[in-house]
Amino acid sequence: MSLNIHLQSLRTPSRVLLENLTLEVPAGTVHTVMGPSGSGKSSLLAAVCGTLDAGLQFAGRITLNGRRIDNLPTPARRVGLLLQDDLLFAHMTVQENLLFAVPKDPKAQRHDHVMQALIDIEMQDFGDADPATLSGGQRARVALARALLAQPQALLLDEPFSKLDMRLRERMRALVFGAITKRGIAALLVTHDSADIANPRQCTHV
Amino acid sequence: MRHLPLPSAAFSSFASRSFAAGLAALVLFPLAWSLFGAIDAAWDLAAWQALLTQPQLQTALGLSLWTGLASTALAWAGAAVLLSGRWGSKVPAMLALPHAAFAIGVVLLVSPSGWFLRLGANLWGGVGGVGLESPPDWPTTQDPWGVGLIVVLALKEMVFLLWMGLAVLQRPDFSKRLRLEMQLAQTMGYSERAAWWRVGWPQLASRLVAPLGAVFAYSMSVVDVALVIGPTAPPTLGVLAWQWLQDADPHTQAQGAAAAWLLLAVSALLVAGLVFVHRAVFKPWARARLTRGAAPLTAQEHHTLALRQPTAAAWALLAVYSAVGLALGLASVTGVWLFPALWPQTWTPGAWAAVASDGDTLWTSVWLGLLSASAATVWVLLVWEWWPLRWRSGGRSAVLLALIFLPLLLPAALWALGLHRIALEWGWDASASGVWLAHTLSVAPYVALALYGPLQGFDPRLRTVAATLGHGRWAFVWRVQWPLLRGAIAAAFAVGFAVSVAQYLPTLYVGAGRFDTVTTQAVALSSGGQRSLMAAYAALQWVLPVVVFALAAWGGRARRFGSAGFQAGPAAELG
Repeated sequence: MSLNIHLQSLRTPSRVLLENLTLEVPAGTVHTVMGPSGSGKSSLLAAVCGTLDAGLQFAGRITLNGRRIDNLPTPARRVGLLLQDDLLFAHMTVQENLLFAVPKDPKAQRHDHVMQALIDIEMQDFGDADPATLSGGQRARVALARALLAQPQALLLDEPFSKLDMRLRERMRALVFGAITKRGIAALLVTHDSADIANPRQCTHV
Repeated sequence: MRHLPLPSAAFSSFASRSFAAGLAALVLFPLAWSLFGAIDAAWDLAAWQALLTQPQLQTALGLSLWTGLASTALAWAGAAVLLSGRWGSKVPAMLALPHAAFAIGVVLLVSPSGWFLRLGANLWGGVGGVGLESPPDWPTTQDPWGVGLIVVLALKEMVFLLWMGLAVLQRPDFSKRLRLEMQLAQTMGYSERAAWWRVGWPQLASRLVAPLGAVFAYSMSVVDVALVIGPTAPPTLGVLAWQWLQDADPHTQAQGAAAAWLLLAVSALLVAGLVFVHRAVFKPWARARLTRGAAPLTAQEHHTLALRQPTAAAWALLAVYSAVGLALGLASVTGVWLFPALWPQTWTPGAWAAVASDGDTLWTSVWLGLLSASAATVWVLLVWEWWPLRWRSGGRSAVLLALIFLPLLLPAALWALGLHRIALEWGWDASASGVWLAHTLSVAPYVALALYGPLQGFDPRLRTVAATLGHGRWAFVWRVQWPLLRGAIAAAFAVGFAVSVAQYLPTLYVGAGRFDTVTTQAVALSSGGQRSLMAAYAALQWVLPVVVFALAAWGGRARRFGSAGFQAGPAAELG
């Protein structure tokens, strides 16, 4: 159970961003990718996510739990995403944002899942709230809950803590990394902040 | 802020590209055909020779240039002042008033028997010390200098530019950056006003160049407004071209087409000249002004925390539009009204009874507006969604945008001529489907203009997030993008409806006069003696779009959320 990236090259028409990179991210762990701006960190996440810009070319192979995903459309990859902005849908309540993420399954208790997710992030009283009225920390927690409700097998984290203050950052790190471990998700984290590194032995500089 | 690129894999299939091209062709093909029809009309040497020997030509062309340039300059200056206050709460209502109705309202106010002179006569027993017992023989409308035409065009186009500017200012990406830059400028000692003119306006103005070109092209060639309030002996070249195009003699028709082309060529040359002067003279001068440093704050600026909203200019504009609306309403129920009485001696609902008895006219305006605005809005949204991401920049995108927006730059008569040609060749002339097509093609550029900013400014990362949550393209479009853009989509539809209601030449030309709308009736009546009926139709020209704008504002309003508290239930189920 892991995310495996065998990247031969990731390039724009004019230059190579990354080449000959192999990453193996076991389930339940966070692998950190660090590097200067423009080094291709976010493009690497986009390649895993299946959202590469038309001007970028990926050569290589990406597998998730043994299943090749680099040739699949994004919704079929089962890869979650957390960005530095929470990107909650402004026209939906908190509850609706979460319901949007729960897979469509007539047998599943979708509302129960959402309720549990709200309890997990200690926001059970905010289901009907307008996302715009929440604090930055609350929004970040809802974004995490939403990403996890989609039941991803891998989670991509693109500087998700960089906009939070120091206290919240610590709390969110614990929350995100705890969820990843508990759920056995393979996570790839892009960051500029060395404090974000979950495990120094699982860190790649590009 | 980091941006993850958009999904591309799902959009790159051949079938998807073919569908996108086919979808675009639905409107672009007839549009290009119409343009070709217009171009085809230019190749008649005898028509050009006949045109150049016309004694009216020089004066008519001069009037077009003068009225077009002056009204565009005034509209630009007015819009710049209004935008400096970022005021725009009543813009949709003013935008909804068609040009012809506005011109008719202004005529009712300023004509020798109009309200202004009656007011003057009652307040001071005369105007300028001259006692008035009957309407004076003053050229206050259809003046030979085109002043009335300039004023009407300037006031109408000012609102269009204001609306376009506000659309840019409301884009989250642009507005956020601009606000920060202006705050930064103020920390460097500039007043808020100075920060606006040196930092805000130059950036906004560069984004309004295309709408400004459309305003100039429209003002140079407008027909319906010029028929109502423009000079008559001779009229502007746009009107002259239209009169020739309507002639039964094919040679005179060809002369009309040549006149429309001459108007386009002169406009293009003038624009090229202005661009040259702007780059060679104005830009260096403006740059020098921009960088000369902050002036000390005035005493007033020391105590002013923000720009006044709305500004005095905004109030003045509102007052003019309100007066026009009042004049239309009043004139539509006026019976006997002897000069210089301020109010009519008798009131009559006769005009409205006549309008009600002629339900077809009203119904034609409504169905044409609804169907053409719906078709254009759906088309723009679908093309945007299907247009492959890699086509959104570069040649294909440029061709698409140029074709969509070209009708805005063409003289009105030339555009109507092209539409007429396509209707003739497809056997759709004088038919409901032909008039609908003409309206849809005329409406599409405005709808595209209204939606382009919101669609382009829509945060692309939301699509990525939806995809990572397991949702495909249409789930994202139906449940995220279009609901979030509900206000912009509703407003674009309302703009499309208003543009359709205001169509004069395409309705008349393609419909061969068989389809009466409130606009064709109002313009036709403007040259006759049925003042109250004319005013009633002109008022309807305004009322119909205002109703649709109001419905659009209601339907497109931001969602109101209830109080916090989790209440899971079927009503909250999203799928």
